[in-house]
Amino acid sequence: MTTVLAPVEGAAVGLAAVPDPVFSAGMVGPGTAIDPLRGPGKAVAPIAGKIMKLHPHAYVIVGDDGKGVLVHLGIDTVQLQGEGFKLLAAEGDRVSAGQPVVAWDPAAIEAGGRSPVCPVVALDALAGAVTGVAEGAVHVGDELFRWE
Amino acid sequence: MGERKVTVAAEVGLHARPAATFVQRAKQAPMDITVARPYSGDPVNGKSILAIMGLDVRQGETVVISAEGEGSETILDELAAIAGAP
Repeated sequence: MTTVLAPVEGAAVGLAAVPDPVFSAGMVGPGTAIDPLRGPGKAVAPIAGKIMKLHPHAYVIVGDDGKGVLVHLGIDTVQLQGEGFKLLAAEGDRVSAGQPVVAWDPAAIEAGGRSPVCPVVALDALAGAVTGVAEGAVHVGDELFRWE
Repeated sequence: MGERKVTVAAEVGLHARPAATFVQRAKQAPMDITVARPYSGDPVNGKSILAIMGLDVRQGETVVISAEGEGSETILDELAAIAGAP
């Protein structure tokens, strides 16, 4: 069982609230999404493990058991090509749960006309494998959901 | 063993929407689906979004999709169309 932590502060709103059908329809996997607190912040690793992929706008951490969790910072933010994001770790790094990975500002994303909502997804997980999904206000490092 | 060699046309590469669409179709196939970079690296599981993301295929790069068994040619055509879509 993996406990997945909130990578950003904000309100857990569920994947259905994500304005991108890839996430809202659960095509990437089950999980939830956080509508982040507007203002500069640091997105952290939701689990302990290795940073398998690190883009400025998204990252995947894989735990020792092979489970991969995707954190996507805002929607359509790949188009920003890294502008407004600062990497605080490197691909291949081992991180502990709660360790900062990317500095960003959801308010700036929103000002640019994009949604800053952050899907947090259990990759390849079956829908029923994710339980205890938090709702409402979450702080960085709070338990967001459990992956059986 | 059937194969399709495809150049990934999507701006984001084989990530996000193209990757999710690809894996969703691959999961419906009864046989194993693998994806590899040509000439290098081991094939990865085409039914795993984690594996496809890990392959990190960018726009303009080529992948080889493989499957074997009844119906595999049709599935390979569909997967090639997804991977090659702009």
